[in-house]
Amino acid sequence: MFGLLIKDFFNIRKQIAWYIGMIVMFFVVSLSVRNLTFSASIGLLVTISVPLTALAYEERENWQRFAAASGLGAKTMVAEKYLLGILFALFSSLAYLAVFLFCFENGTTWMEFCFPVCMQFVILSVVLPLVFRYGVERGRTMTVLFVVVLVALFAAGMGLLGDRFSLAAPAVGIAAAVTLFLLVGSFFLSLKIYEKKEF
Amino acid sequence: MQSLQIQSLTKKYDGFLLDNVSFSVPQGAVVGLIGENGAGKSTVMKAVQGAVRADKGSILFQGKPIEQLSKEEKQKIGFVQDVTCLPLEMGISMLDKVFSHIFVRWNSDRFFDLCRKFSLPEKKAVKDFSKGMRMKAAIAVALSYDNDLLLLDEPTSGLDPVVRDEILEILYDYMQDGKKAVLISSHISSDLEKLCDYIVYIHEGRVLFDEEKDALLEKFVTFSCEKAALKELDPARVERVLLREYGADVLVRKDCLPQGFGGNRAGLDEIMLFYAKGERLCSDF
Repeated sequence: MFGLLIKDFFNIRKQIAWYIGMIVMFFVVSLSVRNLTFSASIGLLVTISVPLTALAYEERENWQRFAAASGLGAKTMVAEKYLLGILFALFSSLAYLAVFLFCFENGTTWMEFCFPVCMQFVILSVVLPLVFRYGVERGRTMTVLFVVVLVALFAAGMGLLGDRFSLAAPAVGIAAAVTLFLLVGSFFLSLKIYEKKEF
Repeated sequence: MQSLQIQSLTKKYDGFLLDNVSFSVPQGAVVGLIGENGAGKSTVMKAVQGAVRADKGSILFQGKPIEQLSKEEKQKIGFVQDVTCLPLEMGISMLDKVFSHIFVRWNSDRFFDLCRKFSLPEKKAVKDFSKGMRMKAAIAVALSYDNDLLLLDEPTSGLDPVVRDEILEILYDYMQDGKKAVLISSHISSDLEKLCDYIVYIHEGRVLFDEEKDALLEKFVTFSCEKAALKELDPARVERVLLREYGADVLVRKDCLPQGFGGNRAGLDEIMLFYAKGERLCSDF
């Protein structure tokens, strides 16, 4: 697993440097204008983009065939991509937490922190099985469609629920539990898809 | 002792069937897999690597089914693929760091020695290597984790004769201790004639023959004749006939060469050509 992780870090190091730079830049912008949106949105982008970029390189290099021949099992291959996404989700969440605490004022709820963080993992949970199943190119198109639908639903939901949504205290726990459930379910789905693949 | 045993391997794709392929790779031997494009060589290689699943049949490595091998046991099979699968953005030292965490018996000193021997540039990324360099890098990786069987899928294809010769030298070295084995597929029959102990010919998904190379090369002769002369030949003694505009080329067993015809020893390319495109001699000729 560690070998695969450092392989991805070495192989897409230029892109990773860009993504880290973007997280830092959006962090600074958020702090400067005291607006959470910038720091929240970059986390979503980076969490999907890093594993997707790593998988695109693997497809180009026939790495999955190499891995199969090297005795690396499906579980290791799939788990590493989830771990890669989770690492970047946590990193961007830390930056977002700093912004959130800096901007914290009366009336701010933890749901405002929790929701974008959970969304990173939800998107990861949806995108990775799609990419394992359909490949990076088609998976990327499906991701864009998914994000558009999700944003539309989110906007509509917020309009309908309004303050009731943000003030609901148990909502943080429920959101976290649902996210965890989706992530675990997504991992096993991806594993099932990967086990059926041939290279 | 058999290093690799392939028994009744069957795999069906749309428009292609690998049909009951069986052969063995003895310890200490080099087995060459020959066949036309799309004959099924790569499917066999991929099945041994675990990159495709067989519909039927079994593959045993040192007597154990490959799907039951642990990671450590699986890594006793080294491989070099027709397309280089190395991460393209990395240089030699990065590859060493990554593979030292992937291969249980990775030997960094041996890897760097091989890279120096192959004159691979340490500062460049694999993507900037020439085709020959990429193949050498893949071979250096395969030879750096102490394996007992080496699978090579078209390792010399598209390479110039100098690089091909260097690669063959490396394979001779690999076989020195007599305990290792090599399964190599190639279109370049001259390489196989130099290197192999046994030849397995796959045609349209089936094994047409699996024979000792020297015996195979001694077995057949070819000769040319007028089409009218075919009528005088005994169909039972003719393996294949290739009809040409000017006449016919005939492949026969050496001991079946008709009197009055001078035969030329048939090489692997010719044997393959006759079996792929030739016809059996029948009374219609």
